[in-house]
Amino acid sequence: MHRSIPVFSALVLGSVLAWADEAAPLPPPNRPIEQAIDHHVDALLKADKVTPAPPADDATIIRRLTLDLVGRIPTTAETTAYLASTDPQKKAKLVERLMAAPGFVRHQATELNTVLQSDEPRRRGAQRTALREYLVRSLSDNRSWDKIFRDLLLPDETDDKMKGANEFLKTRVKDVNRLTIDVSTIFFGVNVSCAQCHDHPHVHDWKQDHFYGLKSFFARTIDNGGFLAERDFGVVKYIPNKGKEKEAPVMFLTGKTIAAPGLKEPTKDEKKAEQERLSTAKKAKKAPAPPRYSLRAKLVETALEPGQREFFARAIVNRLWHRHFGRGLVMPLDQMHSENAPSHPELLQWLARDLVEHGYDLRRVIRGIVLSNAYARGSRWEGDRQPADKYFAMAQVRPLTPMQMAVSMKLASMDQKALSGAAAEVEKRLEALEKSAEGLARHFPQPGDNFQVSVSEAMLFANNEALQKELLEGNERLPKRLLQEPDLMKRADLANRGVLCRPARAEEKQAIAAYLQERQDRPEAACQHVVWALLTSAEFRFNH
Amino acid sequence: MARINFCGSAAHAVNRRGFLSTLATAGAAAFAADMTRVQALALPEVAQDLRRNQKRCILLWLAGGASQMETFDPKPGAVTGGPFQSIQTSTPGVRICELMPKMARRFKDTCIIRSLNTRNGDHGGGSRMMMRGRAGESNLDYPDLGAVLARELGQENSSVPDYVSFYFATEGRMFAPGTPGFLGARYGSMDLYTSQIPENMRRAGISDQDHQARNELRGLISGQFERGRLSDSIDSHRQAYQRMRGIMAHERLFDINREPQAIRDRYGPTLFGQQCLAARRLVEAGVPFVRVGRAWWDSHGQNFETHQEMVPELDHVMATLLDDLEQRGLLESTLVITLAEFGRTPNINSQLGRDHFASAWSSTLSGCGIRGGSVYGRTDETGNRVADGEVNAARLFATIYRALGINHQKNYYVGVRPVPLTDPGTEPIREVLA
Repeated sequence: MHRSIPVFSALVLGSVLAWADEAAPLPPPNRPIEQAIDHHVDALLKADKVTPAPPADDATIIRRLTLDLVGRIPTTAETTAYLASTDPQKKAKLVERLMAAPGFVRHQATELNTVLQSDEPRRRGAQRTALREYLVRSLSDNRSWDKIFRDLLLPDETDDKMKGANEFLKTRVKDVNRLTIDVSTIFFGVNVSCAQCHDHPHVHDWKQDHFYGLKSFFARTIDNGGFLAERDFGVVKYIPNKGKEKEAPVMFLTGKTIAAPGLKEPTKDEKKAEQERLSTAKKAKKAPAPPRYSLRAKLVETALEPGQREFFARAIVNRLWHRHFGRGLVMPLDQMHSENAPSHPELLQWLARDLVEHGYDLRRVIRGIVLSNAYARGSRWEGDRQPADKYFAMAQVRPLTPMQMAVSMKLASMDQKALSGAAAEVEKRLEALEKSAEGLARHFPQPGDNFQVSVSEAMLFANNEALQKELLEGNERLPKRLLQEPDLMKRADLANRGVLCRPARAEEKQAIAAYLQERQDRPEAACQHVVWALLTSAEFRFNH
Repeated sequence: MARINFCGSAAHAVNRRGFLSTLATAGAAAFAADMTRVQALALPEVAQDLRRNQKRCILLWLAGGASQMETFDPKPGAVTGGPFQSIQTSTPGVRICELMPKMARRFKDTCIIRSLNTRNGDHGGGSRMMMRGRAGESNLDYPDLGAVLARELGQENSSVPDYVSFYFATEGRMFAPGTPGFLGARYGSMDLYTSQIPENMRRAGISDQDHQARNELRGLISGQFERGRLSDSIDSHRQAYQRMRGIMAHERLFDINREPQAIRDRYGPTLFGQQCLAARRLVEAGVPFVRVGRAWWDSHGQNFETHQEMVPELDHVMATLLDDLEQRGLLESTLVITLAEFGRTPNINSQLGRDHFASAWSSTLSGCGIRGGSVYGRTDETGNRVADGEVNAARLFATIYRALGINHQKNYYVGVRPVPLTDPGTEPIREVLA
């Protein structure tokens, strides 16, 4: 086992840390992010002679941006204004407006919260967790990603302002293996779980020491009467699949080992002191005093050190890229190791460096991504051979998340008259709409890569009476509003604008008008059918 | 080819040839594709053959953990044995609990595995492990048995559901809900929690004609968007709405009132009996996997009263189900499993209960691919540990997969990572397989 570590370190230094030595100079750091993105993406397209898809039209862009930035489709008023505007800066202004809206913080909190809740059952009710509330507060203050990382791994349970930050650890403290794997996949973009039982068969980087080394940072963390605590002593031992039981080094993913105190058997007095510290706190129902030396704090410190922080920076950049492009620069997101090269290595390096140099400001990265030309391409391929995904030659079709889907359905199916008025008032209504959509959101799974729509979803929309009532029936809903428009062609267009956020094309108008015409004996039902057909179309189900 | 699984029995070899020759005349070019069966089904005679030959599985899920001592591994006379005696089964030398006389008589199709050691005595963790055949791993969401069988044995465009799960009790329901995991929602379960007819199966407030026309309008609008956009996710969306009406048309499969009264009487008036009858109707129509959850066996107190009440029902319903399947010629192609999250402690506690116990407990496999009338593995005299032939969850699942003609080492791919159906190095129990 030990002999492999120097080899590993060399490998990592050669690949992951390449930007430290600048062998191939990166474009200057002061370049706007969107320009750096387009520079690298276009370079690969050009090198491989791939022609990208043309830019998406304005209606698609405002829908895409609104979904990605504030987690819902645009209102009819927003779409209409955007399509009518001739301002050459309208896209940049839209991005600024959306990112300044309170909905931006809420949506980002939902997205990050989903990442932090790594299993499906927990995600279902996650919109109401204290952890999400913590994220909303932090992101409202534009708290940087390194600070959030610190809050989550070193939560101060005595500080009311940090309420909820402890949930990440608390829900995992009873299973240190899971905690180790979750921290490594979520924050560092690598899944060391294979190395739990054996050296990784394909990835020479991952030895059992990497799993147990990382686990060592958490092995002293315990639940102490409902509060998190860390012991002063304790070392992880494991039986390698070749050889006898051994003590794991306290070791970060780069191979850096930590000479921590408390790795030897404690003396009687030391044991007693620790016991006292913990049991006193337990009796008082309080968070115990921190240990003399916190291995968890050491992990946070190490992970953010120059020369070590590349895992942390690259992982979040790749995750944000994946969220907006439907594919990471490295795929899958938890396999960011030396034998799984990024599609655009220099770009990933550039973005990670930019993130570190700008204080881990996630807003900055997101703004850069959505302002790039690469992000704004159309998702339809008219040519005969669709280029491979890694080129980002066209936009990927991305399924809506549960909250995007639920909020958008509520919004699309309402009579948007209620959304006219002062901006602050509209914002309040949208927030209320979001809250009211939480129940509906629980029907939908969080999409992963290779997402599939289930037949149960189709049957839910087609046959569920309560949902039918909620979305389609009543005076405040879109079908009733459509009835006020006597011209069937105009009615068809209105339905399209409300649900699909674009004007109807001629053939759609005709098909819908014909459908309505045939059901003139039951006009309200017919309008409900039309809205239903639009709401359940693939065009609505996906961000495209 | 991959999804066509023949029994391999002599009787069916004839059918297989018949199938191949029919198909040859129908144009065998399409045969290499996964979708073969869908196309082949257009031919009535082929459809009939396939229906008979398609393998399927009914899982009787004894939620909460039935006691092996009061069912399939009795220890009369031992300090841990409890009050019940054992009785002789139709296989000389094999004895089961006296609460199961009907299964004792028709033991010929069943194999008891008495040597499970699954090491997880927690309801949630145990349920997840025994539904997936492996311990969980964070960040890799494994599919459960039903989802794997839906995928391996089902048809891509099937108009019947491929994973149905009955679980009316509230106790333990959320410990192991149907989980397609990384296989995706296409293979998710149709869960029946409160009604014998699945949720959202019936039209509400709309005529059949409008229901169909509305869906056609949907398809028209959606189709324009789909043009020029190649995506498996979009395909699944289209398929879901295409399959929907076919599945609705199969509502009758859930309706046991369509069975002759004599058959319903045989299964008995209990919910478990009725749901097993519905399960039989479903597998007969080609549903590859049905789970019937029977709860709640968690007898920490009054273990013997609990089992005196619940075991005879299990005995009656299971024996009736096996008889019924056999009479319909379906038992050869249908595997019936009894399984739970764990068994119960040999030690009898002060409340006359037995507690959670995962170190030495039993499961049974009957029918398709199984060497019936047999026992595999042995526990010691008190039932406290496995004395011979220890089996873990992975090995049990490898055996189940092989019995159903599925390669237990087959890989799924999650991104680039190969994930075998059962953990690497796992072998099925040859002695259990026919």
